[in-house]
Amino acid sequence: MAIVEFKNFSWNYSGYRSKVLRNINLSINKGEFFGIIGGVGSGRTTFCSAIMGLVPHLYPGNIDGELIVDGLNTEKSSMSDLSTRVGLIMQSPDTQLTGAGMNVEEELSFGLENLGTPRKEMIKRVKKMIKLIGLESFKYRNPFELSGGQQQKVAIASVLIMQPEILVLDEPTAQLDPLGTTLVFNLIKKLARKGITIILNTQKIDYLAEFADRVAILNDNEIRKVGKTREVLTDINLLKKNRIISSDFTQLSNELINRKLYKGALCMTLNDAKEMISKVKRG
Amino acid sequence: MPRALLISYIDKDSFFHKLNPVTKLVITISVIILIFITKSFIHNLIIFIFIIPFAYYSKLTKQVFMPIKYLFIIFVILFVIQGLFYPFRETVLIQLPYGFAIWTEGLIYASMISSRLLVMLVYGYLFVLTTHPGDLVSALRKLRLPYIFGYIVLATLQIIPRVQSQMATIIEAQKSRGLETKGSIVKRLRAYTPLLGPLFMGSVQNAIERATALEARAFSAKCEKTSYRETIIMKKDKVIMVLTIICLIIFGVTSWLL
Ligand SMILES: Nc1ncnc2c1ncn2[C@@H]1O[C@H](COP(=O)(O)OP(=O)(O)OP(=O)(O)O)[C@@H](O)[C@H]1O
Ligand SMILES: [Mg+2]
Repeated sequence: MAIVEFKNFSWNYSGYRSKVLRNINLSINKGEFFGIIGGVGSGRTTFCSAIMGLVPHLYPGNIDGELIVDGLNTEKSSMSDLSTRVGLIMQSPDTQLTGAGMNVEEELSFGLENLGTPRKEMIKRVKKMIKLIGLESFKYRNPFELSGGQQQKVAIASVLIMQPEILVLDEPTAQLDPLGTTLVFNLIKKLARKGITIILNTQKIDYLAEFADRVAILNDNEIRKVGKTREVLTDINLLKKNRIISSDFTQLSNELINRKLYKGALCMTLNDAKEMISKVKRG
Repeated sequence: MPRALLISYIDKDSFFHKLNPVTKLVITISVIILIFITKSFIHNLIIFIFIIPFAYYSKLTKQVFMPIKYLFIIFVILFVIQGLFYPFRETVLIQLPYGFAIWTEGLIYASMISSRLLVMLVYGYLFVLTTHPGDLVSALRKLRLPYIFGYIVLATLQIIPRVQSQMATIIEAQKSRGLETKGSIVKRLRAYTPLLGPLFMGSVQNAIERATALEARAFSAKCEKTSYRETIIMKKDKVIMVLTIICLIIFGVTSWLL
């Protein structure tokens, strides 16, 4: 069942002649883990903000076609209706802080206050989320005074705590160190298992290879390809054409195949590579 | 990021801190009403002196008086202008050359205004220092004031230090490109003018970002809002509020009659 449906959707920011998103046709299913990859400036951030309704409600511009999110036409419904269904996590952390919380705990609870969550429930969820994301050491600090990585964790926690049905993440780990990145991806995977629909825009295709059900390539403002993760991420020519660097594992297996050292399929994940190596050794 | 210069809550475990924000608001507003009833600046000074026990009981004896230095220049300007040009002047205090004079009525008027400013500043500042913005918002919500009003209060307190530090950053950046920020007033004004552009653009950008962040947290969701911080109006709050209003009436009437 489709929960996010782009129907011939186009968008241009007012004042700009060319369209940032052009004739997008795409449907994302409920509970699916959906990855977006593509080049710089290709419109991926705009794609993500459209699902939340920031486009067109916060940024002026023109829509052609339509975008249906959980049964709501984003153009015709209000942001308040969309905001209870969609959680959006963006790439730069300090722009996601509201200024409504004097410390991390209060920043986390702000969304729940707006949804009218009872106070007891709110306290419980804040405690749980602080533990889950590892915010204990700075939970009483002012969010504006934290480091970028810490702020991003707070931003992620503040959205997750609202338990949205659809979680849209726009390069959420761009500011995090490898440890933080792994932590965030593991968390996303956990949420995906719970049946939340996840739409993840990231450059880190190793993680998509690991977790995503399907992947779309969004390049030069258009969807170039939608397919099963393995189908898209092991298509070296397609990736190259779209200026996307394929995973080291894929490149390695490709190299070995070209040198006739290996006769299997292209690898995508660490596990694939391990399997390949054991086969090569035996062979 | 530097802490707020002027406006910031200081966490202390004091009697005054623990009062409900509404109680403190009632005290502050009562004092402000009172200084507009009084007819003599001496009464205002007496009200001003009453800040000392308040400050003592909030464990902020020194901090409360900090911002007075920012008022000093305003006082000087007030006294000079009103002393020389007060429209309802009658009695000459000191005759100056070129037909100028310092007028008694002007000085009295200036001292009246200055003392009012002084009282508003210290009591207002005491309120800000001792009231957690979150509690204020929560209390305002309970009073059924529109929650947007609450957010504006809170975010303003939070954003001011950011704008201050942004301004400092812009100034540093411009200085490193040879901007002169010292010298005569005209020179300085001219130097600071080019800073307004980036600051304004930055503010617009900030506003859009903040709006995005707020929408992402269901700020405009139409439902009954709740509060994370709990603010209860306790018995002592009620007693103090009633006492404050009684004091307001007694002092107000006395000062009016004297
Ligand atoms: N608010 C805006 N107003 C006008 N134009 C915008 C706005 N936001 C983005 N654009 C333009 O839209 C195009 C796509 O931007 P977008 O941020 O969606 O791309 P992206 O794929 O996320 O890029 P990146 O890889 O840098 O994150 C860019 O040319 C950008 O200049
Ligand atoms: Mg982007």
